[in-house]
Amino acid sequence: MGQTSGLFAAAATARPAEPRRLLETLRRELFERWPQTVERFRCELESVGGRFHRVATIADVPAAVLTIAREGQARRLVTWHPTAFGADLGTDLRGRDLEVESMPAGAPASPEGGARLRERIAGADIGVTGVDLAIAETGTLVLVSGAGRPRSTALLPPTHVAVFDRTALVESLAQTGLVLEAWHQDEPAVGWGAAIHFITGPSRTADIELTLTRGVHGPRDVHAIFVDAPFRD
Amino acid sequence: MTFRERTAVALGDAHLQEALNIATTRFIELRREAFASFPGGEELRDRARAIKEATLQRLDHYLERLVDQVERRGGRVHYALTADEARDGIVEICRRAGARMAVKTKSMATEEIELNEALSHAGIAPVETDLGEYIIQLAHEKPSHIIAPAIHKTKGQVAELFSRELKRHVAADPEVLTRIARVELREKFLQADVGITGANFAVADTGTVVLVTNEGNGRMVTSLPRVHIAVMGVEKVVPSMSDLVVLLAILAKSATGQKLSVYTTLVQGPRRPGELEGPEEFHLVLLDNGRIRQLAGPLREALYCLRCGACLNVCPVYRQIGGHAYRSTYPGPIGILLTAMLDGPRAVGELAHASSLCGACAEACPVRIDIPRMLIELRQGGVEHKTAPWAERVVFRAFAGLLARPALYRLAAPLARVLQRPFVREGAIRRLPLFLRDWTKTRDLPAVAGRTFSERWPELERER
Repeated sequence: MGQTSGLFAAAATARPAEPRRLLETLRRELFERWPQTVERFRCELESVGGRFHRVATIADVPAAVLTIAREGQARRLVTWHPTAFGADLGTDLRGRDLEVESMPAGAPASPEGGARLRERIAGADIGVTGVDLAIAETGTLVLVSGAGRPRSTALLPPTHVAVFDRTALVESLAQTGLVLEAWHQDEPAVGWGAAIHFITGPSRTADIELTLTRGVHGPRDVHAIFVDAPFRD
Repeated sequence: MTFRERTAVALGDAHLQEALNIATTRFIELRREAFASFPGGEELRDRARAIKEATLQRLDHYLERLVDQVERRGGRVHYALTADEARDGIVEICRRAGARMAVKTKSMATEEIELNEALSHAGIAPVETDLGEYIIQLAHEKPSHIIAPAIHKTKGQVAELFSRELKRHVAADPEVLTRIARVELREKFLQADVGITGANFAVADTGTVVLVTNEGNGRMVTSLPRVHIAVMGVEKVVPSMSDLVVLLAILAKSATGQKLSVYTTLVQGPRRPGELEGPEEFHLVLLDNGRIRQLAGPLREALYCLRCGACLNVCPVYRQIGGHAYRSTYPGPIGILLTAMLDGPRAVGELAHASSLCGACAEACPVRIDIPRMLIELRQGGVEHKTAPWAERVVFRAFAGLLARPALYRLAAPLARVLQRPFVREGAIRRLPLFLRDWTKTRDLPAVAGRTFSERWPELERER
């Protein structure tokens, strides 16, 4: 019997030796192009069924969230802990007649406490999170789990609102590869979780007669709010 | 039922024919659109193939690195040489965790080892959470397509299944059915003790297991239950994150025409300190089940397979008969090769001939697996190892003998002209007799020419 026609010279992708340093260089370049990048992100996000919003500063975000909440007649929100977020939206949002719960900074004291918190997340209408990476090529939001930023805030409530600025933007999947290399270059930082989620639009399936339906297990609606003035360091 | 009988059943099923046609045509369109709007497509395919080959060339090194990294992050790795070992190992993990229910994402690897039956026997209820898998689980069937397992079911049939399960009438509307599944399965996610997934890739550099889904069940299953078990064929290991993004890009385009699937979940071991969610125990089951042997075997290239389903969608045979007619875990062109790899050439039998060798599969394959070449080798192996039917072996032996004897070969055409006379009508043979009947069932054969080229050649040469 024959064998594979020759073992051709194959190579894995060349790995950068110092991804973090390369990433810094990349970020400086991206900084120049951010207006085009965010525009591309908007197009791609909308083409996969996400909704894009743009505000000037972080102080304008609560109003945008309120609009989204009113649209869906939502009352209960859960948000990442302010440290994870980079801003404290909770106070502002509460002032607008919404029930807002910020996630605690660390793990709950007991399993029962955890279960109760999980119930409240499951009962919320909207989950508000930050964004660790926004990939323009595909309209993808990348969220890293961790302390103060539980995985279920972007998963259990039927609406997901993600707030980010230009520092999260990258252009392509190839650049995302570099970011992933950089994130894993050293031991994980304190508070860094075990899961990274790439989210490209609302949950969907076409398993029944190829008819597209949304909101199968994950959120039915995904909103990305882009803040012009950077609020993250 | 023999393969032929199964295909006859499939061909006679009008609804299946329509469902297959609609679904495969749609997948083909989606894939074509995705690659049309992506100029770097061919280069990406080459790079993906190069990554796969490079991985296989040092598979032991990458697997060792993967195991090392997973263990450093607090996960446990179990190497399963056979399907039995994998099944037993997984059941044991579940028992030790005191599990009574396990939620599962779509995983062909767990279908391959027939995990669900083993779990049920051990008193652990497996619940499929991918909508298509949930449907066929209720129907007690096997998946009929790698990507869309319930492609063969109408919404009416699905509504009936749900009505029976929930003991109330349910409308045959996909929106309604999806919403019902969301509510029913959410309960299961929150109550399950164990989550079992497959893995599309595992990154050796970091010990990260990667799940590609559209529904969100992958995130649920890897975040909510106490224990997470990922089952993965050994060939799915990927050297680095830089390699991963190449494969993620090509997989989504080939499978469903998306730039990326809705959710790509990267899991690196059990939950870390400070996390509210995430499993306390993380287990990676590395499944061999005949794969390693093929590194030096003729089916080596089949190890590149990303399980995207593109070859199924373009295969004229699959498009007619659907997945169940193959009666193996993996259907379609790549399925025939995988069956030979995992169950041995004997298990393949007639399936090696379930192909017209048109090559559509090789053209569609994102990593350019040369499926037709390997199918021919399987057929050849069938003759050599006497697993092909004796009639086939006799005919090929006779044919070989004829080709090796020029004088005899030259007699063949005049002889055929004589023998064919009773069957020729208007230059074509409409119906051959006896066991040759099948050859003319759906087509006419042209009659042997009045004078063959080699008979005319002496004259033609003189004319020159």
